[in-house]
Amino acid sequence: MSAIKLTLNGVAIADDVVPRLSLVDFLRERRNLTGTHLGCEHGVCGACTVLVDGEPARSCLILAVACDRHDIRTIEGFADDSVMAALRDSFHRLHGLQCGFCTPAMLITARDLIRRGKAGSEAEIRAGLAGNICRCTGYTNIVAAIAATARSLAGGNVA
Amino acid sequence: MKAAAVDYVRPGSLDEALALLARADVDARVLAGGQSLVAMMNLRVATPELLIDIARLPELRAVDEDADTVMFGACVTHAAIEDGLVADPSRGLMPTVAASLGYRAIRNRGTIGGSLALADPAAEWPAVLAALDGEAIVQGPQGRRSLNCAGFVTGIYETRLAAGEIITGLRVPRLSAGARWGYVKLARKSGEFAMSLAVAVHDPARHHARIVIGATDGAPLVLDEASLLCAGGRFDADAFRLAISADLDRAGDRQFETFHRDLHATSALRAIRQALA
Amino acid sequence: MSVTHGASHHGVGASLPRREDQRHLQGRGEFVSDIKLSGTMEVAFVRSPHAHARIRSITAPAEARGRVFTAADLPRIKPIRVVTQATGAKSPAWPPLATDKARYVGEAIAACIAPTRGEAEDLANAVAVDYEVLTAVVDAPRDMRGSPALVHDHWGDNLFVERVVEGGDIDAAARAAEITVTREYRMNRQSGAPLEGRAVLAYRDHRLDEVVVYASTQTPHTVRVAIAEFLDIQERRIRVVAPDVGGGFGPKARLYPEEIILAALALQLDHPVRWVEDRSEHLTTSAHTRDHHYTVTAYADRQGKLLGIDTDIIVDAGAYGLWPQGPYQEANMAARTLPGPYTLANYRARTYTVATNKAPLGPYRGVGRPGATFAAERTIDEIARAVGRDPVEVRALNMIPPEQMPFTSVTGMRYDTGDYARCLRLCAELLDMPEVRARQAHGEMDGRLIGIGFASFTEQTAHGAAEFASRGAAIIPGFESCTARILTDGSMVLMVGIQSHGQGLETTLSQIAAEELGIDPERVSVRHGDTESTAFGFGTFASRSMVMSGGAVARASRMLREKLLKIGAHLLQCDPAEARCADGLVLGPRGSVSIAEIAKVAHLRMDGLPPGTDPLLDATATYEPGISTGVFSYATHGAVVAVDPETGFIELLDFAVAEDCGTMVNPMLVEAQIRGGVVQGIGTAFYEEIPYDEQGQPLAVTFADYLMPGAAELPAIKIGHLHTPATATEYGMKGMGEGGAVAPPAAIANAVRDALAPLGAEVNETPITPQRVMAAIRAARGD
Repeated sequence: MSAIKLTLNGVAIADDVVPRLSLVDFLRERRNLTGTHLGCEHGVCGACTVLVDGEPARSCLILAVACDRHDIRTIEGFADDSVMAALRDSFHRLHGLQCGFCTPAMLITARDLIRRGKAGSEAEIRAGLAGNICRCTGYTNIVAAIAATARSLAGGNVA
Repeated sequence: MKAAAVDYVRPGSLDEALALLARADVDARVLAGGQSLVAMMNLRVATPELLIDIARLPELRAVDEDADTVMFGACVTHAAIEDGLVADPSRGLMPTVAASLGYRAIRNRGTIGGSLALADPAAEWPAVLAALDGEAIVQGPQGRRSLNCAGFVTGIYETRLAAGEIITGLRVPRLSAGARWGYVKLARKSGEFAMSLAVAVHDPARHHARIVIGATDGAPLVLDEASLLCAGGRFDADAFRLAISADLDRAGDRQFETFHRDLHATSALRAIRQALA
Repeated sequence: MSVTHGASHHGVGASLPRREDQRHLQGRGEFVSDIKLSGTMEVAFVRSPHAHARIRSITAPAEARGRVFTAADLPRIKPIRVVTQATGAKSPAWPPLATDKARYVGEAIAACIAPTRGEAEDLANAVAVDYEVLTAVVDAPRDMRGSPALVHDHWGDNLFVERVVEGGDIDAAARAAEITVTREYRMNRQSGAPLEGRAVLAYRDHRLDEVVVYASTQTPHTVRVAIAEFLDIQERRIRVVAPDVGGGFGPKARLYPEEIILAALALQLDHPVRWVEDRSEHLTTSAHTRDHHYTVTAYADRQGKLLGIDTDIIVDAGAYGLWPQGPYQEANMAARTLPGPYTLANYRARTYTVATNKAPLGPYRGVGRPGATFAAERTIDEIARAVGRDPVEVRALNMIPPEQMPFTSVTGMRYDTGDYARCLRLCAELLDMPEVRARQAHGEMDGRLIGIGFASFTEQTAHGAAEFASRGAAIIPGFESCTARILTDGSMVLMVGIQSHGQGLETTLSQIAAEELGIDPERVSVRHGDTESTAFGFGTFASRSMVMSGGAVARASRMLREKLLKIGAHLLQCDPAEARCADGLVLGPRGSVSIAEIAKVAHLRMDGLPPGTDPLLDATATYEPGISTGVFSYATHGAVVAVDPETGFIELLDFAVAEDCGTMVNPMLVEAQIRGGVVQGIGTAFYEEIPYDEQGQPLAVTFADYLMPGAAELPAIKIGHLHTPATATEYGMKGMGEGGAVAPPAAIANAVRDALAPLGAEVNETPITPQRVMAAIRAARGD
């Protein structure tokens, strides 16, 4: 067992983990944060996307033990985030989810696109979503929701 | 599937990492970005006993430049290259390649050194670094040495890394102002591994012309005759077709079935056209 | 009785945003693997690495005694067997844990238990199984008869069933034909691949004396029926719950061995047990789908008018039949729908459902229709080319005109309403066909070839008892149920037997209650997916939920409306005929009373009830459409592609759907279902395939090899609607959930055919990969 200390959703925590434990299983099984989902465990589907040190990463391809001294944020950790709030509102109004399984990861990826200024056009958004599979929606409404959010946030930013 | 049991250590220095790797009594693997290794562990096709985590070693993440070259620490991420956060000696080729690789979440963690060391046959960096005439700086129990990227990968998941060696840096010569390049990656889906990959670099001021194809189910293939023709600087499609064909015939260790052979030839020609036309 | 249609602006026709969104947006969905029960042990299976092998012995490590379970250790489990009335059909016994033989790669041999999944897998790897490897049956057309290797030893052949569907006089059509077109088509085996794999969590509830099984399933009630049957327990001692389910699409509408095994383990071990499918397990063992081979000969006159179609249909159904329906309906549905929306009078389909050493085949969005549509619509295009006419015109020529509705097809399908040709032309309009033709003629700078193609089809939905009985099904999903209950404060619960896993039924069913009662949907909860709280229902599949469950909600709501009006009128001292429901009230000529006040009287102040009226506001209703042969949605899909003739790579430039599903309860949700289905159809057209090698090894078992469409590969999908309400359903609704997935492979293959017409190349197999395109081009060149 290895002792780890990390910041999880803004809170400093300490835990003991076996090295083989993936970050996603650490979050889901040990920290009871089940909003991060597992769709493949080989890094393709994107359902396990979380923020590691502020950047999207596949939690199925990261060991919990390797997160010692790092900052992790999951879908449960955006309560005060205005971009996430705007995205949630758009996804709801524009019907950007069906079964909900890909949704937390979609939101985290979408927020990162907006944050990096990569949500300016439909083509750009679609390219930015390449790493997030959705089997239900056909992506159209997800793209529309992200575009609408990006526009409304840009409109709100008075220079 | 869940990974098999494994031990993990995060050494505080490169020397410590090398000492751990040199132990003969344990099957150890170096862990950088983990985007390939952990995926393989999750499928239990890789079952190391010890992981030596070098991802955060500052000496492996540094980027140094001089007038002629840029030295990338082996653990520089694809995203850092994509975003232009580090120096670019390739006049846009490396950021373009980085952006085409996998998905952003993978690029945030995956490293250029890790990609070269793994030598997945469909990976991008081995072919691109070979085309740019880069060098891999490796360090091991026998000390430090430098290996040209053009011959670094020798087969599927096979490189010239000796036991106990780690890639510590990639030194890439700067392309001159008049250099041109072409890059073609054919994949059915954005971010997928390439079905065909071709890189053409023409830097007449440095007398460097090299055409390399990847995703050939083996080591990246340098197309010597096409490269020679490329040095002439003129795009003659028919001449290049013949040269590429001759080069593919000469790749004796590989049997290309028709579809893949034609695809590689087409990609190579298109990359050359991008560079020269 | 007063009429209260449109009692709410939140009713039928409103594009209401969904109630179910909030939990998912917050990461608070509750999928099976999110549920934590203390003491849970994880299960990993020893699975056969061989496609066909005799099992000689299974040896668990000594220290693992009590943690490894073979069939012998769980004797209460009876083999799964599909009962079918289909004549001549064979139905193999399927022991959930293999006994004497393994018949497909991935078949479960033993269950291993440990505190974590990783440790359970370690244990599974330590179990030694001695196999005698046998020759695998892998080629359905070749091996169906006369093969020395038999999937089921006592069968004598490898045929589940063969059947002929025919009508008219095909031989006369052949004689009269001026044009004959013959082709072979293949739709390759693939997965439904929902993003959440299967999962089962089971435990014993001692207080209620039942075994509780959480399962990621579309059909909880029928899973309960199965557990009762195959574990020999009374149903009252079983609860099955499908909580949030991360996509189903059909593969989760069948019983799986793991559900039986986990229930048995829970009963035996007295602690919770959990199995969460990983992606390789899913791609290897969850129901495979499609896998059809067609040989089609079509006869036509010189104008392109169809005279007859003669076809052989082979379905590679894998090793076992999935309970309850087995593999029999796949070929049957393909055979019956192949005539499409056309006035075809002469038809013969010989169908063969073949057993192979592959994973069992199951339903997936469209079931038999995508394959049949692929075969029929490619053929229509070839007829058009043979007679030198535009494929759109040849379709229109053959389509059933609206004045002939209702029309009974040559295979006995009764098309109820629709204007197929108008739909076809709408689709061509959406794609701006003249502009595409102009671009095509002009040529592309990069040398790519442009093509446009169409495919038209009808979709039988919400079919009931008569239809399933005609298929020889042992279980007839002919109705749905609803218990509608108004609580003491006037808020409402709808308890339904379907299972919403993305379709938005928690919202749309509340819209129907709003329509009937004028209640605000915000005051309505929908409970689904739990055998504990809902009357028997069949689940969500076959594009049936809105019509069937919506119909049951409507009926139950109207029963409550009648009672509300009665009590309300009594409280308002008026005649019930003078009262109506709207905006959460019962309105009379001289005042109003709220549903809440009425509910209080009905429960807490029964002294206020009219004489002869019982307390409670609780009604249970079932529903089946007036026509149990189904109501038919229909559509034409169109695709525009750019094909690179040097590499075989294809870009989908544009895609349009013109469709008619009658009345739409929530148009926003309907359009999203269409788009979701279309993208899955695009997946079938370009990417999705699980090939098997000669030894029966599946070759795509991770998402590195099994590709699905991502956002970057897709154009915006245009949708146009016609509205021809059904005459036999509530509000004129028709089912539409599957339609999107039916036609894209055909439309895209026709577009590719159009693009490559100058080269004379055709691709008649899905997925249309660059390899297949280049092979077609080389073949046309005579290489």
